[in-house]
Amino acid sequence: MAFLDNSGDIILDAVLTDTGRMRLAKGDGSFNITKFALGDDEINYALYNKNHASGSAYYDVEILQTPVLEAFTNNTSILKSKLLSISRTNLLYLPEIKHNTTDGLAANTTNSITTVLVDKDTADTFDSGGNAIKSYSLNQETIFITFDQGIVSNAIGNGSDVDLDADLWETQYIVEMDNRFGYLADKSGIQAVPSFIDDDNIASYYLSTTTNSNFFGDSGRNMNGTVISGPRGSRLQFLIGSSTDLASSTYLFTQLGGTTVAADSITSDTDGTYHIDTTIRITGATTGYRVDLPIRYVKNQ
Amino acid sequence: MATTFKTLTANDITNTRTVLHEAIPLTGTISSGTYADENIKTYSHGMFTSVFDYPYLSSSANHIFDLATGYSDNSGLSGTYGGDQESKKINIYTQMAQVLMGYDVNGAVQDFDMDGNLVTSPAGTNGSEGSGKMREVFFINFARLLGKDEIKKGSFELALVTGGLPSAFGASAPYYANGLADNGGTLGPVLTLGDYSATSSYFVNSPAGEYGLLYSGSREPNPGSAFGIVFYQAAIAVVSASVWGNPIGGGPWTGADPGQDGPSACGPFMTGLSPTGVGTVSGSWISLMTSSATLDQINNAQRNRIKNISFNNTVELNSTIYFCRVAHNEFNYSANPTYLNSSKIRVKNSTSDQPVSYITTVGLYSSDNELLAVAKLSEPLKKDPNTELTLRVRLDY
Repeated sequence: MAFLDNSGDIILDAVLTDTGRMRLAKGDGSFNITKFALGDDEINYALYNKNHASGSAYYDVEILQTPVLEAFTNNTSILKSKLLSISRTNLLYLPEIKHNTTDGLAANTTNSITTVLVDKDTADTFDSGGNAIKSYSLNQETIFITFDQGIVSNAIGNGSDVDLDADLWETQYIVEMDNRFGYLADKSGIQAVPSFIDDDNIASYYLSTTTNSNFFGDSGRNMNGTVISGPRGSRLQFLIGSSTDLASSTYLFTQLGGTTVAADSITSDTDGTYHIDTTIRITGATTGYRVDLPIRYVKNQ
Repeated sequence: MATTFKTLTANDITNTRTVLHEAIPLTGTISSGTYADENIKTYSHGMFTSVFDYPYLSSSANHIFDLATGYSDNSGLSGTYGGDQESKKINIYTQMAQVLMGYDVNGAVQDFDMDGNLVTSPAGTNGSEGSGKMREVFFINFARLLGKDEIKKGSFELALVTGGLPSAFGASAPYYANGLADNGGTLGPVLTLGDYSATSSYFVNSPAGEYGLLYSGSREPNPGSAFGIVFYQAAIAVVSASVWGNPIGGGPWTGADPGQDGPSACGPFMTGLSPTGVGTVSGSWISLMTSSATLDQINNAQRNRIKNISFNNTVELNSTIYFCRVAHNEFNYSANPTYLNSSKIRVKNSTSDQPVSYITTVGLYSSDNELLAVAKLSEPLKKDPNTELTLRVRLDY
């Protein structure tokens, strides 16, 4: 009779992230591990073959052969997709977060990037009738960057008829963006305060439906003009303002960006523009669903 | 409520301390010219010589140890020459002694002690057990890269060629470790020193930490017969010049061990290779120390007589272990974008199917959701409602 496998616990060696090292170096007690999360960044669930001819033992044979990368030490480059704890096992659909370009601010039609005009001169030159954010006058913006949460399939009912389960409703979002380039503002154009800024100048904003109501639009069955066909959760709406560095100087543009000549409907100027391409990451704090929004900061040459 | 984090409780976190040892073998070829002395660095101040494991101008080079030589102001050699070189020799000794041996009750720097009892003996007296001092010594200061937290007690060995050496040890001329002919000359015997029995009998009366005495392999380890001291935490070996001959004012003279029969038995101290600008010297150790020979020249001669050095270092590894306990009803779903197809879970056909997820990464977070540490699995680990896991994540400091 063979022995039973008694290898027991799985022992893993952890490495500190750059933020972890920074907090450890501060020595102010901010390095305090209090919780954990599990990630599956490398996994492609499309490889899960429920129709494998050899039976259920082979459904995930390709997934289990996935090679796993060593740890990145950049805290924003790893654990992009987390595993989710939901006590129920009978869920067949999970909500997603979708960029709403029909009711919200549309992306540039040419390059599919949401555009921020960093100063008045640029806005005056390239005013496109509301198809870009004018950073100098955020409080006059009427169309916002909008993300809708919900189930994109109406297989379990139309969103105007069926509610999203309460335990899947996003009540808090985390927005991460490069603090050197810009800041987050609510629908009134009021600048939000980052919860923290990490060692790579990534600012994290925690937005809650209860304490940051001006970042949220109509939700649930009241959500109109949505890209969510099934049950709907919350709607996040915000604006992006440019930093003083971008508005007053071309330094960061020449260091990190590029120039465009005779671009598109927004930046169709023969004199050309400076631009910086970046992304803003929106994560649902409840479901962990994550969306990256490409952003282009534009400055007139 | 869906969630992506699980809080660690006090029962999930524990601390451990692990002691690791590495074996450090250093062959004499490194210190005596494998790289035509391009791995030997001298300085304009001339106070010590550095030995690297590769030509030191290369970025690949690692610092191995420094070699320094000196004698006490209380030594009989003091005042025999005078001048700048004598000051340097005394200054080196005094600096090392004040760091490693400290001060007596009157604030005077204590000379290196050969028995560890720190009893002060009058200047120039030798040999009486319990009072012996080592006033003429050379130092081997190991780089922190090798010594790490400390040298493991009882593991240190230093083999020196103590007799005549007509050519550079480790140079092109053939060498026979058992003391046979070398290019027709007579090669002196090899003296092996070690901190024998130090695992149970080391000393703790130094301000620089614990130390053990270096004995000849042919001698019974007993106080008064030591040839040197190894300071474990400082990673410094202090070796009496008595290994080279008959220094004035120090050393155990009673035995007939190699190198203790007087300067004439030592033979000429000579090097065949030398760093640029240092030059070769010849003469007994004492004649060099009492002459205008520079410390670089003397260090050069001594390093060519190192046959082997070996020890084990010690690293204290402090670890925090986080027990990440995953219950059957946790982490069975994923926020991976590929997990859904038009919001439908790919791994399920119907609501009655079990959800499945695959773990590749464990992230440790602060209370404000900042990722502080990451651990990776070697392969994806399947998680479904039928399994419970405990992932032990170890963070070393």
